[in-house]
Amino acid sequence: MFKSMVEAFKNLFKPVRTINYPAQEIILPSGYRGLIEYDKEACIFCDKCEKVCPPGAILFYQHEEGEKEYRYNPWLCIYCGECVRACPKPQEAIWQSETKQQSAVKEDGANEGWFVWEEACKKSREAYAAAKKERKPKMKSEEPLCVS
Amino acid sequence: MKIETTLPTLLLDIGAFYEAHQWHFLTVNGIDLGEGKIELQWIFSKYGVKDEVVLYYALSDYETPVPSLTGLIPSSIMGEREIVDMFGLKVEGAQRGLYLDDDSHPHPLRGES
Amino acid sequence: MKKTIQIPLGSQHISLLEPIRFKFECENEKIIGVDADVGFVHRGVELACTRSFEFKQVGYVVARVCGLCAITHSLSYTLAVEKLLGYVANDRIKYLRMLMVELDRIHSHMLCLAHTAENAGFEALFMQIMGDRELVMEVQEAISGNRVQFDYISIGGVNRDLTSELVDLVRKNLTTLSEKMEILTGLFDNNWSLSLKYKGVGVLTLEDAYTYNALGPLARASGLATDVRAETSDFPYEALGYTMMLESTGDIHARNFVRLREIVNSIAICRNIVDNLPMGEIQEKVKGKPKGEEIVRIEAPRGELFYLVRGNGTNTLERVRIKTPTFSGIPAMMEVFKGSQYADAPAILASFDPCMSCTAK
Repeated sequence: MFKSMVEAFKNLFKPVRTINYPAQEIILPSGYRGLIEYDKEACIFCDKCEKVCPPGAILFYQHEEGEKEYRYNPWLCIYCGECVRACPKPQEAIWQSETKQQSAVKEDGANEGWFVWEEACKKSREAYAAAKKERKPKMKSEEPLCVS
Repeated sequence: MKIETTLPTLLLDIGAFYEAHQWHFLTVNGIDLGEGKIELQWIFSKYGVKDEVVLYYALSDYETPVPSLTGLIPSSIMGEREIVDMFGLKVEGAQRGLYLDDDSHPHPLRGES
Repeated sequence: MKKTIQIPLGSQHISLLEPIRFKFECENEKIIGVDADVGFVHRGVELACTRSFEFKQVGYVVARVCGLCAITHSLSYTLAVEKLLGYVANDRIKYLRMLMVELDRIHSHMLCLAHTAENAGFEALFMQIMGDRELVMEVQEAISGNRVQFDYISIGGVNRDLTSELVDLVRKNLTTLSEKMEILTGLFDNNWSLSLKYKGVGVLTLEDAYTYNALGPLARASGLATDVRAETSDFPYEALGYTMMLESTGDIHARNFVRLREIVNSIAICRNIVDNLPMGEIQEKVKGKPKGEEIVRIEAPRGELFYLVRGNGTNTLERVRIKTPTFSGIPAMMEVFKGSQYADAPAILASFDPCMSCTAK
């Protein structure tokens, strides 16, 4: 009885083991897997990251002139880092930062907005492929003329 | 080790082979082969021996009733209820509804479903 | 006149962590019949693995079957695919994978012990064990970069290396933990509500364990010597100090003790791994497409995890069969309930450590 009283009294002055979260910040360990970041200048547009991404959080929008635009959904991403490992220029074109993604609000359009983008990217690819097909036969038919 | 068997002789084969103190029954598995064919597998492993797994398999179709092993191995009921749910097969004594509800897809793991 | 009454437990109940429903057929206080419904969280992972994802992505999909044993799921799948591709990992990769699996076992067993303590009415011990569990979670977070979804294992190796700072952290935290484990073992042995109350409750006899194919800590508490770590040769467990923990009584107390002693054994294995870590690459290129059929068994914290993977030489797999430990443990669990008191049911259930999201996948 006396022993447990002493123990209880001691516990009053022990430091608290939980974190008082919104008031006190959670310290993330170094090497925390956070957001995927991207540099357009270094990218060679090989689309490898898009192909390996398990949830499909990276998409490339195909412009008609042949340029590609990188699009990324941080709320769909599972932060596995597979895209970084697949990249031919890791740490330069695409890398994993230690920043934590905040929760999405309605204005971010984490779902609806992304569905629109997904659809647009798919259509832009198809349109580009169709345009390329149309252009190719013409080029071929022109070629023999040039040779002769 | 893979051993072929057929559905009518399944109970005899496994009855002659299975001994509760030696073999651990893992599960019943189904694999859809397409065109109405299905491969059913019964998998066992031996207690205390390294890497000894025995797999009995039988080819069947969606309609043929599958004999139940529950008389020999009571715990096989879970695996049997699962293949009933997933492939829409008929197994004696196993009713639908382990995972799926009445209005779910009738056989989600069949080839062209 | 009907002599029995039906009392349901679940699908929402104060003692349950995950949705499962038991229908108990009771005669006064005594349970004489049980019926279980487990499919509340079915997500169709097996179908998704063969339809929506390529084989290189499936490892990350199956990791999401379960939050507690995520690492064993991705490990078993990766091993199966590596066997199909004819790749054998080097020793460093094997050791790092084992380290994560053993750390996972420690924190999963601690969670189960915390819940058995809670169901004995011992809230303070629940808090204390959950607090100590953070030591292991911290290590796992530092190694893999995330607390719950580790995504540590990929085809051809592991994603991150173990640096010397991490080795120091592992050693430091495991030393603190093993001191706490001694206190905890004493508590589970001597405390009235944890030892006397739990002796002779929820007994699974050895014969029933054989008949109903019990597995994992549930079987080992009854004296059935089965452990996939001793029955497969994928990992060098014997060389790293693995011993099988057996009890004979098969009650809740025995199950707690199997878990406590396994934690101590796992701590020893983890120490051996970080002390004897061989040199080598942590990631190697694996080429090819899976063709054929492969079976892999891994000892998850709750028992044997089984994967059957069949590929046909394309990017999409033909079949991924997942058999989780709780799934095949349910017939044995239902057998234990028969003949015990209804008031003991939550405590017995917690001692099984059931994982419903694994079971329903």
